[in-house]
Amino acid sequence: MKLEYSGQEKVQADPQKVWSFIQDPHKVASCLPDLKSVDIKDEKNMVATVGVAVGPVRGTFKFNIELDPKPEENKMMVRIRGGGLGSAVDLTASADINGQEDQTTLLDWNGVASVSGPAATVGGRVLDAQAKRLIETVFANMGKKMAEV
Amino acid sequence: MSVQTTNLEPKGIQGLGKAIKRKEDPRFIVGKGNYLDDINLPGMLHMALVHSPYAHAKILSIDTSEALKVPGVKAVITAKDLAAAGLSWIPTLAGDKQMVLADGKVLYQYQEVAAVFAETRQAAADGAAAVQVEYEPLPVVVDPYKATSPEAPVLREDIKGQMTGAHGPRRHDNHIWTWNVGSKDETEKALAASEVRIKQHMLYPRSHPAPLEPCGCIGDMNKATGRLTVYMTTQAPHAIRTVLSLVTKIPENNIRVISPDIGGGFGNKVPVYPGYVCAIVGSIVLGAPVKWVETRTENLTTTGFARDFHMDIEIGATKDGKVTAMKVYTLADHGAFDAAADPSKYPAGLFSICTGSYDFQKAYAEVDAVYTNKAPGGVAYRCSFRVTEASYLIERSMDVLAHELKMDPAELRLKNFIRPEQFPYPSALGWTYDSGDYEKTLKVALERIGYYELRKEQAEKRAKGELMGIGISTFTEIVGAGPSKDFDILGIKMFDGAEIRVHPSGSAIVRAGTRHQGQGHETTWAQIVSEELGLDVDKIIVEEGDTDTAPYGLGTYASRSTPTAGGAMALAARRIREKAKKIAAHLLEVGESDVEWVDKKFVVKGVPSKSVTMNEVAFAAYTNLPPGLEPGLETTYYYDPPNLTFPHGAYVCVVDIDKGTGEVKVRRFVAIDDCGTIINPMIVEGQVHGGLTEGFAMAFMQEIAFDEQGNHLSSNFTDYLLPTALETPKWETGHTVTPSPHHPIGAKGVGESPTVGSPAAFVNAVVDALAHLGVRHIDMPITREKVWKVLRQAGIDSF
Repeated sequence: MKLEYSGQEKVQADPQKVWSFIQDPHKVASCLPDLKSVDIKDEKNMVATVGVAVGPVRGTFKFNIELDPKPEENKMMVRIRGGGLGSAVDLTASADINGQEDQTTLLDWNGVASVSGPAATVGGRVLDAQAKRLIETVFANMGKKMAEV
Repeated sequence: MSVQTTNLEPKGIQGLGKAIKRKEDPRFIVGKGNYLDDINLPGMLHMALVHSPYAHAKILSIDTSEALKVPGVKAVITAKDLAAAGLSWIPTLAGDKQMVLADGKVLYQYQEVAAVFAETRQAAADGAAAVQVEYEPLPVVVDPYKATSPEAPVLREDIKGQMTGAHGPRRHDNHIWTWNVGSKDETEKALAASEVRIKQHMLYPRSHPAPLEPCGCIGDMNKATGRLTVYMTTQAPHAIRTVLSLVTKIPENNIRVISPDIGGGFGNKVPVYPGYVCAIVGSIVLGAPVKWVETRTENLTTTGFARDFHMDIEIGATKDGKVTAMKVYTLADHGAFDAAADPSKYPAGLFSICTGSYDFQKAYAEVDAVYTNKAPGGVAYRCSFRVTEASYLIERSMDVLAHELKMDPAELRLKNFIRPEQFPYPSALGWTYDSGDYEKTLKVALERIGYYELRKEQAEKRAKGELMGIGISTFTEIVGAGPSKDFDILGIKMFDGAEIRVHPSGSAIVRAGTRHQGQGHETTWAQIVSEELGLDVDKIIVEEGDTDTAPYGLGTYASRSTPTAGGAMALAARRIREKAKKIAAHLLEVGESDVEWVDKKFVVKGVPSKSVTMNEVAFAAYTNLPPGLEPGLETTYYYDPPNLTFPHGAYVCVVDIDKGTGEVKVRRFVAIDDCGTIINPMIVEGQVHGGLTEGFAMAFMQEIAFDEQGNHLSSNFTDYLLPTALETPKWETGHTVTPSPHHPIGAKGVGESPTVGSPAAFVNAVVDALAHLGVRHIDMPITREKVWKVLRQAGIDSF
């Protein structure tokens, strides 16, 4: 099942703060909802175990997360691959990081995810709503944590 | 509304035609059936399978270390382990081979990748969830029409470049076979010369038998004796034993297959599934019994699907409605492996019955089978090997032709039926129909439903803008596979066996190579024996499903039990009667030629007062024999039927459609079946009710669907709907009787007629309701959404 989302989020932090935040895997991981554990491999790679509930599919998923910052393009790329409970998720997302005059940052983002297995087949009818909520939560957490920095 | 119900008969010597209660029901009603999951053996382990989330992907690695740490988990196996035993791939019934556990790649979503063995079912499931598999996704083929395009990825790399398969040449790596029958040239000439021609594309969607009890097995290898006992939800225990012996190299005498009570099969429980092989391997390796019972999702996503025939038909006719020729092309989506359960010589099953009940002088049918990234199957779901697809095709097409000719569909059918005097009728596609009276059966159905009054009502309703439709289906089936000259599975001829042992007290045990799953054999076989031997039906026990005791037979599917094992049962009884006659003559102190079988007794010719019963003869068979005669009264008969049987029926359906919501309400459904001699009318009526309900589900509710990535969208009962009493219409049943001239008791088989015949009646009724809006065809399942869209397209947007 293919899912595509895009949007804009305004973060109460200047671009420099945003860049330093999103290039730190520890900080990025801390924004994931229901994070059970995280294993930081290096500054660009980590393995995160998170709690997932898509309809009747409930349990933990393990994700390989690759952060691929491209400061020269003002762009952040993220690739997430993994799954659990017989399901698989393959997600590629990117965000343009645009500083605003009021010292805030506008994230112009989009993501394409491919979901396979019971999460798509059994959880298919609630997957879209769950994915949207997940994205909202990640951005809300990021906004909150960046503003705290 | 009149609904026919069958009156129950009192007990006693009950032969054919008696509606006695089913002998097997008391144990089911009180919860004392013995299903696979009821069997628990000492020290038994449980197995769970790891499934692929991807429809097509390379397997990069499988890490079982975490699974082995789960408390209770004893072992995990993958294809590598099976390869050591030569069991990573197994032959399919269709001449292909299939992976047991994914070997290097996965070819469909939910494909089995690893098996986990544990002390409890829960631990096995936890272990399966802990197996880590790394995949590299590959491009997916979902649409069978794209399977053989130049840019399609090669699915079966194991046979890449092998351009000849089990059924002839392959023209693409994703092409399996082409099969054809009839004369193409003559058919095309006849079509070209026809005054009227119709063409129609239609899909018989992928469906699934979805028996309420899923598949399962217990492998129990006794290392001390070297004997493997397999309890399995199988419709064909003997064939399974032979296949297991061939695959595992364990001598057949050291394998015992026991098929316990089965909660519905419908063709789903014919093939050998990877789970069976893994449970057996697990038992051999671990030295303990291993039980595997599928989940609902496993059943719907991995075990044998049915149909998935994409059909194009062309029919020629004269202006006044006499059919001249038909040409059919079908693309069959077989999924990742060709595991269709068809007789060896018939890769497209008995699809060539597609000329139906009509006198086509010329016909040609061609079928191409292709691989896609879907589960394998192509089982005969309550169907005699693709007869359902064929019947739907011709019955839907006759309505399309009637529409084109502006002719009443009943009149068109009456004009083209094979007439009673034409039997035995050689069809243009090579079958010899045994008997039938199609006109009579249709007229009974039309009369019962009040067809011509309904047509008047329809015209009045149309004038008021209301939508009402009448659909007819006058199908002919082909069942009872089959005669050994043409029919075999893996070389084993498709005869069936029956054994009868009459005990001294006049009771008996009878056994058959078939295995009922709700068909009522424990009653009908007893009735046949009761009829032939004059024994009390309650003193006859029927036993099936244990290969150590039952005579060899190919099992129960495709409406074959009564035509094959039913024939064997009657002929075994007659063989016993021959011996009994010698004993009777001895008891009556007359010559054998002076004794005749009258009213279920041996009587001295011309002296009706001098007689002995079979009970008396049975006692004498063990106590008072004529000199030189072998003691005992038992026999085994293997019946090789001379021909198939051709049941038929006429179904008429009336629907009303809600213009606002697209909801179709089945107002009435009359089903007149002709299955030849009826053994037990109550059981026939029950079979017809069940089959009509399944046909209704296919027509309106069910489809095994996939998204473009090969995700299975029908993996549970909220997505794949089963009709309940709430949705199911009221059925009005009846019958005509045209006995089969070659079957020992004239019976033809009925289990599948209603599933085969009814879908076209439903669809024809819906299309008939919408025909005046320019609608000519709608593919199943006819959901409200589909009808609603059709209505909106036709400009109807008001309530």
